[in-house]
Amino acid sequence: MKTSNAERRKNTGFKISKSKLQPGTASPQDLHNLPTPARPTVDARDVVVPEGYTVEPVMVGLSFPTDIAFDDKGSVFVSEGGSSWPTRPYMPARVIAFRANGETETIDMNVQAGPRGIAWRDGELYMALKGGYHMQIVKYNLQSGELKVLIDSLPSGGWHEPGGPIFGKDGLMYFGNGSVSQQGVVLPAGFTVDMAKHPLAHDVPGQDVTLSGNNVRSRDPRMPYPYMVETGPFKPFGTAAEKGEVVKGDINCNSAVWRSRPDGTDMELLAWGIRNPFGMALNEEDELYVSDNDFEEKGERAIAMDPDCIWHIKNASQPFGSIKKPDWYGFPDFCHDGLPVNHPSHLPGRGTPAEMLMENHPPLAGPAAFLEQPHSCMCRMDFSRSDAFGFRGDLFVAEWGSMAPLNSPHPEDLTHGFRVIRVNVKNGTAEPFVHNKEMGPASKVGGGGIERPVSCKFSPDGKSLYVLDFGGVQVTSGNMMAYAHTGVLWKVTKKEVNNG
Amino acid sequence: MDNMTQMQPILIELDNETRSKQLDRAATWFNNVLLTQASYRKLVQDTVEKIDEPHIKQYLAEIAMRAETHEEVIRGELFSAIDRNPSDVRTALGTMAGKAREALGDMIALTSGAKGPWQDLHQLYLSNYNSMGAIAVAEQLGLALGIPQVAHIAFQLVADKSTDQLLLQECVLEMCSMSILYHERF
Repeated sequence: MKTSNAERRKNTGFKISKSKLQPGTASPQDLHNLPTPARPTVDARDVVVPEGYTVEPVMVGLSFPTDIAFDDKGSVFVSEGGSSWPTRPYMPARVIAFRANGETETIDMNVQAGPRGIAWRDGELYMALKGGYHMQIVKYNLQSGELKVLIDSLPSGGWHEPGGPIFGKDGLMYFGNGSVSQQGVVLPAGFTVDMAKHPLAHDVPGQDVTLSGNNVRSRDPRMPYPYMVETGPFKPFGTAAEKGEVVKGDINCNSAVWRSRPDGTDMELLAWGIRNPFGMALNEEDELYVSDNDFEEKGERAIAMDPDCIWHIKNASQPFGSIKKPDWYGFPDFCHDGLPVNHPSHLPGRGTPAEMLMENHPPLAGPAAFLEQPHSCMCRMDFSRSDAFGFRGDLFVAEWGSMAPLNSPHPEDLTHGFRVIRVNVKNGTAEPFVHNKEMGPASKVGGGGIERPVSCKFSPDGKSLYVLDFGGVQVTSGNMMAYAHTGVLWKVTKKEVNNG
Repeated sequence: MDNMTQMQPILIELDNETRSKQLDRAATWFNNVLLTQASYRKLVQDTVEKIDEPHIKQYLAEIAMRAETHEEVIRGELFSAIDRNPSDVRTALGTMAGKAREALGDMIALTSGAKGPWQDLHQLYLSNYNSMGAIAVAEQLGLALGIPQVAHIAFQLVADKSTDQLLLQECVLEMCSMSILYHERF
């Protein structure tokens, strides 16, 4: 029996194993008569891709999938399950490996929140895992069954997600860790279960910060009465901050991006103040870009009209080991357009307006390389590296789509996202690349097209773009429900390549 | 390298055999839902008659009507959503379990010195919590199976029962002093 909270919070007991999966195959007719009423039809003809490209479903029936990876023998890996978005129901936390010869196996693990990001390198599967008070980066050797935990010190246990891992031409591993809080302060407006599981979780800054003393007053949902509490930034729920208080920065922080050697050693903090660096990609010049999601317009620290964005992490282009001070990108006090959260353009139409949480802010590292419509929920992404596919050098970004009306009162936000876009990061422009005939998820606009793209990755030869579709999610102004067995892996190929 | 061009898509756990097995397992749980709800419905119907205080009696009478409706929704719509039939045996067992909870309440009252119908209220509070939890599980099974109808039916039942639970808790906590300290009926 562990005797201290510090001991209890260590991630231990991780088990992983492989098993065979016996999937069925589906004819086009089968795909029009699926047994899941939440997604009864999958039909590539309802998906729009640019002229000259074709799209087809590869896997159907995935449960809350999050990422794609490829080995060098033609296998496709898809991470799925765990306790994800929302946290219920848990589905088996695993990585499905679909071999080039048609065989399928699963890599099963006993981590509750499950795998969020995966990458293949030198014969081993690297995974970013959520669950508990720390996120983890681990690697698993499929041949030997050996599991190694590489990173297990980054504070998590709240709302946002691990980013990466990805690998650069420099041989280094790049990864991120989103904020615990949704709005800069741990509040019940986020899913209350996070508080139940991890009542001591909080954000940790990447450098010393001075607090303004502005706290957020909210109801404590754990109490039976309308029990009001005050919570400050970088504090557990119910703990107030004081004006002038200094919170020490730590390399083991969150809302941040790091790099390290592939074995997890020599970890270097590149940047922090990035709310949710879930998507990470390196271009052919090894320049690092990360996606970030906007503040929400709800609750006790509401912020309106914050765009999603792509950040260029400039410190990643500096020599390894040379970063003395990480860049700061604005969370929790600045929106992605560089304006403070209390700027008149960000005053909410719903919820309590936000106040500044910090004083003497570090310089902002922006501007963003690209600004996207609010609540598009940009997720995982990849650069095109192939003339055969086209748009070489452009960044392809999966957009999970809006959670309006839950997180925004604006009708125009209802259809933001639900597509893959192609971003020119040099001039900050973008075009839709994969979407439905009408913008929005198939469950809203009709047909058997895409629901919520969560990841997109190019095959190792660069000729095909795989788009991972999280599946059916219903959002109301009060709640959100996600349906298992409705996820789809799509594949987009340029016709000329396909036809030899 | 990319060998996966124009293959038939694979289905993950959506084949008939896997699907049918999982639906049968869900039906087994739904019968448990029915049992717990029938038990609760019987207990609340019997408790209404034992209460004298007019407002609490009215609250419970309304809860009893909802409990009856909820049981019908479970027996009809919830099972229908997964194309399975409910077990009559489970309903009968549930009614018996409701009576057993009353007996348990009487025994607790006898041995603890509590007086009057309070112990029935206390058992009702526990019984609703039990059936509410069973229905919340059914909601999760609906989400896991990709069946919105199950999730929506169960969500509404849980929402209703959660509201009733607040009321039952309030009655239990307010009236405990009458029963335990004053040995008075209400």
